[in-house]
This record gives sequence, C-alpha cells and structure tokens, in this order.
Amino acid sequence: MSTPAIKVQNVTVSYGPTPALLDVSFEVPSGQLVGIIGPNGSGKSTLIKTILGFKKPDVGSVELFGEPADQVRGRVAYVPQHGSVDWEFPITVRDVALMGRYGKIPWWRDASAEDKRVAREALEMVRMEEFENRQIGQLSGGQKQRVFMARAMAQGADILLLDEPFSGVDAATERAILDVLQRTKESGRTLMVVHHDLATAAEYFDRLVLVKQRLYAYGTPKQVLHPELLSGVYEGRLKVFSSLSHGDAPAEVVGQVKESKDPTES
Amino acid sequence: MFYDLIIAPLTESATQRALLGGSLVAIVCGVIGCYVILRRMAFLGDALSHAMLAGVTAGYLFMQAFFNRETHAGAMLVGSLLAGLFTVTAISFVSKISRIKEDAAIGIMYTGVFAAGGLLASYFSERIHVDIYHFVMGSSVLVIDDSELWMMAIVAAILLAIVIIFFRQFQITSFDPVMASSLGISVIAFDYLLTACTSLVVVSAVPLVGVILVVGMLVTPAATAYLISDRLGRMQVLAAIFGITSVFGGMYISTWVGKISTGPMIVLFATLQFLFVLLVAPRYGILADWLRRRSMVPQQLVEDVLGCFRKDPKAALSKSVVNKYVSAKPEEIRRAIRWLDSRDWLDVDGDQLQLTDTGRQEAVRLLRAHRLWETYLQHLGMPETELHDRAHVLEHMHDEETVDYLDDKLGHPLQDPHGADIPIDEVKLTSGSKVKIANLREGHEGTIESLEGKLTGPSLTVGGHIKVGPRKENGEVWTLRLADGRWVELDHSAADSIVVKLD
Repeated sequence: MSTPAIKVQNVTVSYGPTPALLDVSFEVPSGQLVGIIGPNGSGKSTLIKTILGFKKPDVGSVELFGEPADQVRGRVAYVPQHGSVDWEFPITVRDVALMGRYGKIPWWRDASAEDKRVAREALEMVRMEEFENRQIGQLSGGQKQRVFMARAMAQGADILLLDEPFSGVDAATERAILDVLQRTKESGRTLMVVHHDLATAAEYFDRLVLVKQRLYAYGTPKQVLHPELLSGVYEGRLKVFSSLSHGDAPAEVVGQVKESKDPTES
Repeated sequence: MFYDLIIAPLTESATQRALLGGSLVAIVCGVIGCYVILRRMAFLGDALSHAMLAGVTAGYLFMQAFFNRETHAGAMLVGSLLAGLFTVTAISFVSKISRIKEDAAIGIMYTGVFAAGGLLASYFSERIHVDIYHFVMGSSVLVIDDSELWMMAIVAAILLAIVIIFFRQFQITSFDPVMASSLGISVIAFDYLLTACTSLVVVSAVPLVGVILVVGMLVTPAATAYLISDRLGRMQVLAAIFGITSVFGGMYISTWVGKISTGPMIVLFATLQFLFVLLVAPRYGILADWLRRRSMVPQQLVEDVLGCFRKDPKAALSKSVVNKYVSAKPEEIRRAIRWLDSRDWLDVDGDQLQLTDTGRQEAVRLLRAHRLWETYLQHLGMPETELHDRAHVLEHMHDEETVDYLDDKLGHPLQDPHGADIPIDEVKLTSGSKVKIANLREGHEGTIESLEGKLTGPSLTVGGHIKVGPRKENGEVWTLRLADGRWVELDHSAADSIVVKLD
C-alpha cells in the first residue's frame, strides 16, 4: 500500500486541563475528499490545527507523506474558519492571494513577478481577479471563501485543510465551492474539510471522520452515518437522523405521462 | 509674523534637535504601533512604559552604588528593557499557568512593577537626581542632547530595518498565525520580536512624552492611519506621517503658548488629529457613514411603493396615492421614489409616477411572491381575512430560490386564494432559456432539451417540439401538444423531469 497523505497517530492535544483531542489515530490516502464531522466544540478545528502544525500534540505524531509534519512545511494549505479571520485587517484580495507564496519567497527578497503571476492566476481560477484591490472585509461570504481558496491554490499545496468553508454562504455558493473542491481532488490533491451539515455530508465526501474529543468513527459515509453512532455523539441534540438512513436511496419518483385528447376542444 | 511663528523656532539648535529626535521617535512609534493596534496589544504597550520606572530607578541606583556614576543613560536604558522583559515574562507566565486572562494579568503585573519603581524612587529620593514627575508626566520643555539624539537615530534605524526585512512575517503572523506556522514561520519567535521592538519603541518615546502618555504615541497615529488605509504598508507610512505631524504640531503650539508642557501637547494634538480624521475619513469616517445611511432606502419601503402598482402595473399614479397606500413618513417615501427613479425603475413626471419596463418586471416579481405566499398561507389553514396582511409581510422574502421553492411545493398554482392570477417569473421564461415544463403556462412553445428522472407512458423524444396546453384537474395536470399533433398529459413529477428550451 502506498504511503498515506496524512497519518495521525495517537494524537492527544489539550488547551487546558481537559484534552481537546484524545488518542486520535487515522490515515488518509492520497486524493481523497474527507469530511470531519462532530458537534460544536468537539475538536474538529483543533484536529485541523494539529495537522497544520499550529498546535503541537502533547502525545502522538502527525506524518504527511510518510515524513514528520514539521519537515514538510508548505505542502499543506489552509482555509480558515470565517469567524477566526480579522476581516478588518488592512489587506487586499491580492495581498491575501500572494500570501500563498510566502513559503517560497526567501526572507531577503521581495515577491517576484513570478509569485505575483501565480497569485493572480489563482485569483482568476476562482474568478476573483476583478476584486483584487478590494479590502477583504468588503466582499460577500462566498467571495471571501473564494479568496482563501485562491490563496491555498497559489501555495501549490498537496494537502488542503478547510475549516467550515460552507458556513454562511448561500446554496449556490456552496455548490460552487464544492465544485472547486471536487476539481482540486481530481487533480490528485488530498482534502480535509470541517463540516457541520450532516444532511449533505454523505453526498459531499468520500470518507468521514467523526470526532468528539475521541475518534468515534472513520470510514465511508455509509459506515459513519449510523443513527446509533450519531445519536451517541450528538447526545440527542439532533433528532433528524431518520432522513440520513445509512445509504438507502430515496424512493424513486416516477413521472406519469399519458395520452390524452385535445383539451382545447370541448 | 509667519517668520516669527514658523521659521524662527527652527533656527534654534535646541528646537532642531527636539523636532528631529521627536520625529524619529514618532516614526518608529507609528510603524510599530500599527502592529500594536492590529494585534490588540495596546494595553501591553502601556504596561511596558510603566515598567520602565522601575527599570530606570534600578539602573540609576545600580550605577551609583557600584560605579559611582550619576544618571548613566546606558544603564537606565538597559534597566528599562530588563524591566519590560521581566514584566512581559511575568504576564505570559501568569496567563498561561492560571485561569487569569491576559488583560487581567497585564493589569496585575505592570501595576506591581510600577509600584515597585515608585517605592524605590521615593525611598532613595535624596540619592536619585532624576525628575520622576516629568519622567512620568512628560517634560515641560523638551531637551534632547546629542547623545540622546544619536541613540534615537540608532534605535529608529534598527527598528525600521527589522520592520522592513520581516514585513511579510509580521504581516502573516498578525493576520493568520495558523497559516504562518504551517509555512514554518515561528509565530512565537515573531511575537517575541515584536514585543522586543515595542519595548524599544516605548523606551525611546518616554523621554518625549512621559510614561503615561507613551501609549498615545504608539496607538493614536497608527489608529488614525488605520481609518484611511486598506493595506498594511500604506497604513505604516501614514502612521509615521501622522506621528511626525503630532510632534511638530505639539511642539509649535507649546512654544507659542509657552508655559504648557510639550509632551502632553504632542499627544493631545495626535488625539485631535485622530478625531478630525475619524470625522472626515472617506470610507470609515463618521460623515461618510452618516451620508451612506442617509442615502440608504429600506428595501421594504421600495417594495411597498412598487406594490402600489399591483392592481395595474401600466397605470400612472400620483404621489398622493402612493403616500396613502404606503405606511411611512412622506419624506421617506420621497427618498424611496428618488431611489427608484435613480435605478430607472420609475418614471417621475411631476406628480405622476409610472413604472418603466424593468420596474414593471420587479413589480411583477413582487406580485408573484405575494400571491404565492398567500396561497401557501391558505394551505397552512390561515383564515382568508388574514392572508393579505401576512403575505404583505412575507412577500419581502422574494429571493428567487425561496419563491421557486414555494411555487414547486404548491404544485405551480395558477391562481391565488382570491382567484387572482399568479404571474410567471418573466425574467426566467424568455426565449432561449431552459426551464422545466412545470414552470410553463398555456401557450409556451419549445423543444425538449433533456429528460431527467424516470417516466412511464408514451415516450417523448429529445429535440421534439412541444406546445403547452391548458392545465387540467385543478391545475394538477399539465397538457402538451407534440409535434405530430398528439396530446399528452403529465403529472407534476413528469413535468418536473422534462426540460424545454423555449422558442
């Protein structure tokens, strides 16, 4: 079997006396689109931050492409949660996209024409080039997400980690973002996405990680979205599991067409 | 007159030194201050300056006791930096180790260190020949000697070099520390470097304005720049400029008036300068905000005005009729009419108002939403007398998706509960657009574009031409005439599965 893109081994992370993640282990093969689900405060964002190397695990390790995470810097890109960004920061769309290149620019010199071109192309890819001089706070929810997607693209990373990219965007934007995620996956990259909507989780992702401090389940949506499992994790806070019944296709609707006589005559 | 006020002070070398030194300090204060306000570190800056009192007295006493030297500038500088370092370490220790949050930890530690400095100074008051009052409150006349000027220049050069070289690192660790660390940029290292830079700035600014007012130099010009810039680099340049203008403004005014302290005047000038920019800043200023609010018209009001044309979209109405039907203040209605006029939705001819084509389309869309909501409410079992008023409120939820959803859930009704026709979405049903048959009305013609989902009964062919006939059985059955003249009936789900490209 080939080396997994992401290998999380017995990871425990804590902010205070209680661990946010406890003994979490799983492997993600290359080229997968993986959803991370779990109730609020279950450690979903912490998991992302640990894989990124922002949070150091108290115990355990994270390997990316078979190497310790802190030796493969720059191959992981990150799209932050909406609420964790300072939208009033004095920075333009172009500056944010260019930030994707920071890992490749040596400290003694400025961003090159090549860096600027790559950043610009990334903006074009998400159709945000015409907004490049806007301050980032002056964009709609979906546009903001697209700018950060562009930054991740400009970084040219093999692994993308996204923290709730679908929160606060309308249905059409959600579709558009999902489309970008799918295309990114098809180009051979690995994606992990924090997601809160169980209703769409099965449709969007190849695999799901269900966490609440500990890893409750990891596998295909069919394996993870078991009502008993979910009600255990969500403690009855979600009561609409019936519609997520594991993998049963909805009853097929058959449209009826009948011959008839000319309704305009009578 | 002009010469006396502006030029004459410049000819004195003391003033020259003061202005030059003050400007150097103001530049670094502004540049570093930008990070201080963006990272919400203002309180920490305050703490650092207060901690200096302890550092200065300790440094003074140390040199006096061991080397018998009075007012040794270097020792006082090192003492200040050490006191700052001690305070910062103590703060982060307390906030990390306990449940005490950082702001409280800052409050505890810096007042403690400041108090220790004050006690030290009062206990040894006959041995210390430093004017503590002016050290804290700012000096009355700014005297900067050559060695101090050199020190300020060196500090400024070092700080500017650091800020320029590590611009990207400071930017990314301030904006998105998580990404910074994923790129291998040590967030903690740059936090410390920035705190060190802030200490250095504070230490060099205390002689200018005094311990208490240093925060003003650090924060106010940067905040002023923040109001008018959307890029970090620009903000830092402007912050430096606003710092320099404060120094010049403050010094000149204190020279002209005489008898008032320079330091406080510089800070007061910076504050007034901030308030002025706050008032007039083009995007984030109070005036701009007020103008924006004034020109804004509530969407609901606009729609209510459009709603007046509900009965006959082609009719011309007088303003008094509109005022009667819309419940809002006349001046608000006037503004709504002006807004509609500016969007070219309404032709205003003296007192007469008439919808333009686009305006009519909008009005029809609103009408469609209104009538669909009425139908929906009726389905919920709401008494007929309440339908209109409730729908009038709900019609403001008329985004395409909501309305189309309602339409579909209701089975694409033709009439509302009062028997009035529900208009179609004209914008969508134009020639060449691709729509589901369920959305079509009698008379629409087109070719079948695709068949989605399962269908039973006689087969329909993609590319075949169809014409929509009248709805049957309370509108629940669609009829189509095929190209060969045959007629077929479709139920709702069949009508939803066939997409037609309109002629």
